[in-house]
Amino acid sequence: MQMSSQRKQRGLKTTGGLLVFLWTDRGSFAQRLNCTVAAAGPWCAGVEMQALHPDLKNSLFPCVWSCPELDPEELSAFTDLYGPLRFLLTFQAKDAGHCMSKWQAHIEAFLRAFSLTNAGIKVHLKFTFGQQTVQHELRVKIKSKVSPTDQLPLILDVACSAQPPWCVRRRGWCQGGHPVVGERLPLSIPPQVMDQGLFGELSVQFVALLRPCVLQYPNLLTELTRIQVLTYSPSNIPVPGPFNFFKGLPAALNCQQLGLDRIHCASFKDLTHSSSVVYSVEPENWEDPDPEPSHVPVQQSLLLFLFLHHSDPFTSEVNDTIAAEMLIEHHLEEILSNNRQAVSAALEAELYNTLKAQNHRKKKQEKLQSAAEVILSSTISIVSSSSNMDFRNACLNRMKVNDTHELSASLRESLWRVTSGKFLHSGKCFSSEVEEQPKSNESTRVEI
Amino acid sequence: MMASCGEQLFSEIDQLRVQLLSSVGVTTESQPEGAEGEICQGGILSRIESVILGIVTSLSKDKAPVLVLPNRSSWANVSFDCAIGLQMSSEHSVTSIKSDCPSSAAKFAQILKILSVIYKLVQSNSYATKRDIYYNDTQLFVSQRSVDSIMDDISCMLKVPRRSLHVLSTSKGLISGDLCYLEEDGTRIDCHSSSAVVPVSSNISGIRNIVSSAKFVMIVEKDATFQRLLDDDFCTKLSPCILITGKGVPDLNSRLMVRKLWDTLHVPIFALVDADPHGIEIMCIYKYGSVAMSFEAHSLTVPSVMWLGLLPSDLQRLRVPEESLIPLTKRDESKLNSLLKRPYLSSQPEWQKEMELMQQTKVKAEIQSLAAIDPDFLTNIYLPNKLRYGGWV
Repeated sequence: MQMSSQRKQRGLKTTGGLLVFLWTDRGSFAQRLNCTVAAAGPWCAGVEMQALHPDLKNSLFPCVWSCPELDPEELSAFTDLYGPLRFLLTFQAKDAGHCMSKWQAHIEAFLRAFSLTNAGIKVHLKFTFGQQTVQHELRVKIKSKVSPTDQLPLILDVACSAQPPWCVRRRGWCQGGHPVVGERLPLSIPPQVMDQGLFGELSVQFVALLRPCVLQYPNLLTELTRIQVLTYSPSNIPVPGPFNFFKGLPAALNCQQLGLDRIHCASFKDLTHSSSVVYSVEPENWEDPDPEPSHVPVQQSLLLFLFLHHSDPFTSEVNDTIAAEMLIEHHLEEILSNNRQAVSAALEAELYNTLKAQNHRKKKQEKLQSAAEVILSSTISIVSSSSNMDFRNACLNRMKVNDTHELSASLRESLWRVTSGKFLHSGKCFSSEVEEQPKSNESTRVEI
Repeated sequence: MMASCGEQLFSEIDQLRVQLLSSVGVTTESQPEGAEGEICQGGILSRIESVILGIVTSLSKDKAPVLVLPNRSSWANVSFDCAIGLQMSSEHSVTSIKSDCPSSAAKFAQILKILSVIYKLVQSNSYATKRDIYYNDTQLFVSQRSVDSIMDDISCMLKVPRRSLHVLSTSKGLISGDLCYLEEDGTRIDCHSSSAVVPVSSNISGIRNIVSSAKFVMIVEKDATFQRLLDDDFCTKLSPCILITGKGVPDLNSRLMVRKLWDTLHVPIFALVDADPHGIEIMCIYKYGSVAMSFEAHSLTVPSVMWLGLLPSDLQRLRVPEESLIPLTKRDESKLNSLLKRPYLSSQPEWQKEMELMQQTKVKAEIQSLAAIDPDFLTNIYLPNKLRYGGWV
């Protein structure tokens, strides 16, 4: 947070590396969890480590103990990549020895959420428990720069690993998403939070990221099935979502207007430590509960980022900024509850904008499907009633079928495939080639 | 004496007839009736099958089928020949109807549906009207206009006249005068009676045994004028003659009928239209054809049509009362400018002069304005004198 604040203040670059190393040692009574956080690169340029240490220790106490410094050999690989360390802190977590795996999961989730909106910073995570060492590098495959009004640009990780649907052949499938900057909503600070010392202007900037991207496939049917809400502090650090507020959010949304049957919170447990809240979405009037595999819509998930923004003309020192952010984080539930109606309306608007595109696709699909039925029936009508054997055989041979019954099925499948898979190149998509499906080599068939 | 009066009345018309016949190289023998080399049933089915095979071939290659239609509203596809009129000479400008695009998929489907209907009609040698096709699936077609337009698109795409596709349309035109003929089903039509006007046949190509001693045919723009002439017994006073109206912009059957009369009788064909840009344009459709139907110009146009009246110069010459004259609107002026730029105007200097006069005076008039001179002026004075003294351009 400190480095982010300093960086924000100086408008510095957002690239570099962050190392989080967790390891255990056996103390006199129990296993203890040690943690080293190291940073290097332009993103923390100008950080004065010695000046920060006393403040850090004060803010971390009484949760941690000091512990011996890490062996420099452990950091050599990191410094080789990113240059000399700008920041290094090692501490021992109290009472963490009995739930290592839980800590590991929390830290990993936190760092993933961090990496989502700080995609320029490469995050290295290393765990050494006993003899076992596990290392991760949170790789960001695709980044996208977002520039909200009056704010520093954000570098988001927009990569999406969703597999393309079956009808996508030989064409580029966008491997990323395209963030959409939404509304910036002013938030009023509740009196009790002001009493704690939080003043100035507070607002929340919404950014929506829908994945996978199907912009290049205008006829593909889509279905929003998952919404994940992530909240970030003014320093762009993930903060735990306020549990009660987000739990009650679905009830505040007008699902009917959104064309949805219901939205319900899918991730109840561990919300207090989780940086995100996940909702599952069920569409309205699910007419075909068991569609053909080829007609299943592409399932999309929506990432809704809530970037908190705070400014106070009477705050200029880093310590004051950090104090304000800690107040915001600590009282986030109260702040959002104080602005419940406005925040719910803004979230509903973001959802509505996302679903507008989906509903538009659905209407287009209905038109195409209706036309396809007529095209197929008219074509088969002519082929079936023709007495021209050359013509009939040519049609059957083209589609490699035996009779008009098979021809009808084959034409239907082909028309659906070419229509759904219609591709319109978009310069802003992150396309890759998809492997072509192998074609069969069957002999010519003649109708008897 | 009576015979002498009649000879005098038609002397100019007879001379005109001789001129016309010599200029187009047509003899006085009537043209053989019946099919003018129309494509056979098998050929039509084959052309439709070719379209379907194209669609199947596209799908076999995992490509979305596309129908390519010549753009019937583009001047880029049209050239002018003074012997034919406006004819489609190229397909530079085309419209692609895609099956995978939501905005055009419906039209693609409509075209396929109508093709399948036509296929069955031709196969079974039966007929249907455009109205029948519309009511076959009103949800698909939405409006009669879309069926009408697609029928013409299909006719242009297959290069087959609509009548050969076994789709008929109810005619809106009317005909009266010295004319008898047989419909395809053997019905005898006699247009002599002035009390009962005959609708133009919906199956012009089926008409046979045309009998007429008419000296001329007069195309009347408006139904109101047509009825007025009938009420005034014009066909008796100026007998023998034929009157026909398309009630405004003529439909295909009205145009085919005029063409049929020219091909069969080889008598002068005059146009009586309002002295306004709209009337002039209607007259040009009969004479030179339209851009939309240019692909069928050979069977629709009658380049020999003469402009009898109401001429802009008549308004001055006859001193039509000013209160009967109407100022040109912006739209009129725009249409007049457009007409003056048409490729066929250069071969009609007299028409050009009349239109430029209208441009200068900035007034227009309906045929009914002649009633301001005298109620019977049109039938008793204006038209007889025009015909007697060659007052056409």
